[in-house]
Amino acid sequence: MKKHDESRREFLVRAAVGAGAAAGVVASAGLVAPDAIAQSHEQMEGGSSTAAAQHPNGPEHGAFFNHADSATIAAFTERLMPSAPDKPGAREADVLNYIDLALAGAYTDLQEFYRHGLAQLDAYCRGKYKEAFILLVPEKQDEVISAMEEGKATGFAWPAAKEFFNTLRTHTMEGMFADPLYGGNRDFAGWRLVGFPGAQAIFSPTDLQSKQAFNRAPIVGLQITAKGPAARG
Amino acid sequence: MATEKTDVVIVGMGAVGGILAAELGKAGMKVIGLERGPRLSTADFNPHDELRYFQRQELRPNIKRQPVTWRPNASAVARPMPVLNYGNQAGGGTVHYGTLSWRMHEDDFKARSHTVERYGAAAIPEDSSVADWPVSYADLEPFYDQAEYELGVSGKAGNLQGKKIDGGNVFEAPRKRDYPLPPLMDDQSGVLFAEGTRKLGYHPFSSPRAILSQPYHDRANCTYCGFCQSFGCHVGAKSSILVTKLPEADATGNFKLLTGTMCYHVRTDNSGRATGVSYYGPDGSDNTIEADLVILSPFIYDNTRLLLLSKTDKFPNGLANSSGQLGKHVTAHIMAKVFAAYDDRFVNVYMGPSAQKHTIDDFNGDNFDHTGLGFMRGAQISVAPADLEAGPIGTAMSLDPPPGVPKWGTAYRDFLGKYFTRYAAINAQTENLAYADQTIDLDPNVRDQYGMPAPRVTYDWRRPNELARVEFLMQKMEGIGKAMGASKVWRGALSPGAPGAHHEGGTRMGNDPKTSVVNRYGQTWDIPNLFVIGSSTFPSMSGFNPTLTIQALAYMSADAIVKRYKNRPGALV
Repeated sequence: MKKHDESRREFLVRAAVGAGAAAGVVASAGLVAPDAIAQSHEQMEGGSSTAAAQHPNGPEHGAFFNHADSATIAAFTERLMPSAPDKPGAREADVLNYIDLALAGAYTDLQEFYRHGLAQLDAYCRGKYKEAFILLVPEKQDEVISAMEEGKATGFAWPAAKEFFNTLRTHTMEGMFADPLYGGNRDFAGWRLVGFPGAQAIFSPTDLQSKQAFNRAPIVGLQITAKGPAARG
Repeated sequence: MATEKTDVVIVGMGAVGGILAAELGKAGMKVIGLERGPRLSTADFNPHDELRYFQRQELRPNIKRQPVTWRPNASAVARPMPVLNYGNQAGGGTVHYGTLSWRMHEDDFKARSHTVERYGAAAIPEDSSVADWPVSYADLEPFYDQAEYELGVSGKAGNLQGKKIDGGNVFEAPRKRDYPLPPLMDDQSGVLFAEGTRKLGYHPFSSPRAILSQPYHDRANCTYCGFCQSFGCHVGAKSSILVTKLPEADATGNFKLLTGTMCYHVRTDNSGRATGVSYYGPDGSDNTIEADLVILSPFIYDNTRLLLLSKTDKFPNGLANSSGQLGKHVTAHIMAKVFAAYDDRFVNVYMGPSAQKHTIDDFNGDNFDHTGLGFMRGAQISVAPADLEAGPIGTAMSLDPPPGVPKWGTAYRDFLGKYFTRYAAINAQTENLAYADQTIDLDPNVRDQYGMPAPRVTYDWRRPNELARVEFLMQKMEGIGKAMGASKVWRGALSPGAPGAHHEGGTRMGNDPKTSVVNRYGQTWDIPNLFVIGSSTFPSMSGFNPTLTIQALAYMSADAIVKRYKNRPGALV
């Protein structure tokens, strides 16, 4: 088991116990629905869950992208949401893994869009900078991205430069913030960045009245609640 | 190929279809309901998943299989819209809606005559086809009441039989009794909005919502999880048609729901009567239902599309179109936004019911003097997350960063990282006027999964009257943001002409068969046993979310069908 899987496991266990306890407290105040209680019990029992979706070829790519394209997507998305100490970015969230899995699944119809987009991006960078995107320094990479965002990057037919940029931005945000079940937002990196506690089943009157950051309960994701009895143990 | 016989067939089992199915079933009429989506249950909505339901729109029509195209004007090429903001399952949009449940103002039902009376005819844009309704607030009041009490709406009265009550909406039309349930709890964005707007002399109140603030009719109350708009409710506290009227329809023993079915044709005979409908089954089969009464209640595009596609030699321009008005006078809300962000505190706007939490009605309808303003009608102003949905994906898509901050990179990451929990969005839901050249017709180039032409919307809200109204409201909202004590206040981007939520029109109701498609009961003037009920019949839209008015109209039509039409089929007016 990789290191991040271990930390995820530990995190999920803590999340499950915390969520159960929190729901219990509110239930005693008579505010919680039966479903929410049942759910929290399930979370407590099924908490020690396995890692989020990953395809057999490793944690980063292989379901759709080849090695070169995966490197480009990793570099591009990292510029859109850069990592810094204590500020998880696209790399920590494993946005590449999310997009790779999505293109092999829910977004199969965008495969050609990505193939053409990546080929055009490569041609643009080699034409203007004589280098592939991944070999450019970050400042030059940002120049390329800005030119795409503003529709000024030349040589793009379909998808248009702006359209490809918009899709990459959207998919980067999805990979940052979708539930870890989908292969991104690793160890809730995106949710930790913004302070989102996930799919909490309930907020109490005290929570609603607070002017502080919400940190009473841990982050709640799909994985811990999705596990049925058959998947336990 | 199957053929069935029934008393009533209803196409579309959403806000309208569910009410009609239950009410007509209770009166002993045999009802078959066609629904193109599935019938889900509360258990399907646990746990919540923003990617699946908000971002990938699983409770809405699939934009590739069920495209609806849009173009800003008749000389542009229409393209499929990226988001279809309506339902695709039994219960329709009420399964995933934000639950705002408004009664329209008295003057909302006579937007034209009221404006002429107060400001003169010149106050109405020359090319606008805004029209009075053939029904008044007083006519609908009992049915608003019925909807609020049968479905379960939480709120506080602001005008009880003429007595104004602080804390409710003092601008609302008089109601006979209070809401069945007290208001939902306020979150911090609601508290800030209430404080700020009160400082400015406005009249804030907790928005009336079809969410249970207390247990009601054997249903559990809200848990304030925040997953409302775009999501089904995981405890069934949202008063959707799925958990209210459909079980009631089931219990009559007279109702059969056919899911995964797509109605493609309304059948008529040479005498000019409707004889039933044809539909594709989930297995691709081609089937027929023979019915004495046909009721159309899908979202607005499909009313116009079905009537156009069902043309015959007798009705060469489509059914119910002798007036030539079918598909015209379309309008939709847009949401103008101002963002307010705090450096010194958290707001946590993701807590509590997510849509339009707290409201002021001071700048809606004709609740303020429009003299010299250069526009008519107004907007409901409320506070909510950026896209009425509060998850981080939706926020990343809809919370435009302030001027000077890009939409990506280090500065963007730091902006979103800091303010996701420290902002609120102030929204103006504008009453855009109807214009005859805002239309729905059949797209000549784009077809849906059944090979039917996609509905095509021609619409651009950026008319002089509408632009002037938005600028006025933006300034008011900036003032509110400052009064709320925000550290930063800035405007959000406006839509490039495309319609927002809550589309209305296409089968307009009226008093005159020459200028309207249906009468006040949704009965088509041309074919008395064919009804069209829903927001496609609205002659004007108000600044309010339309669902409660749609539901009140459905109750009124059901009442007329049961008490009068059932025994003596024919024209109801």
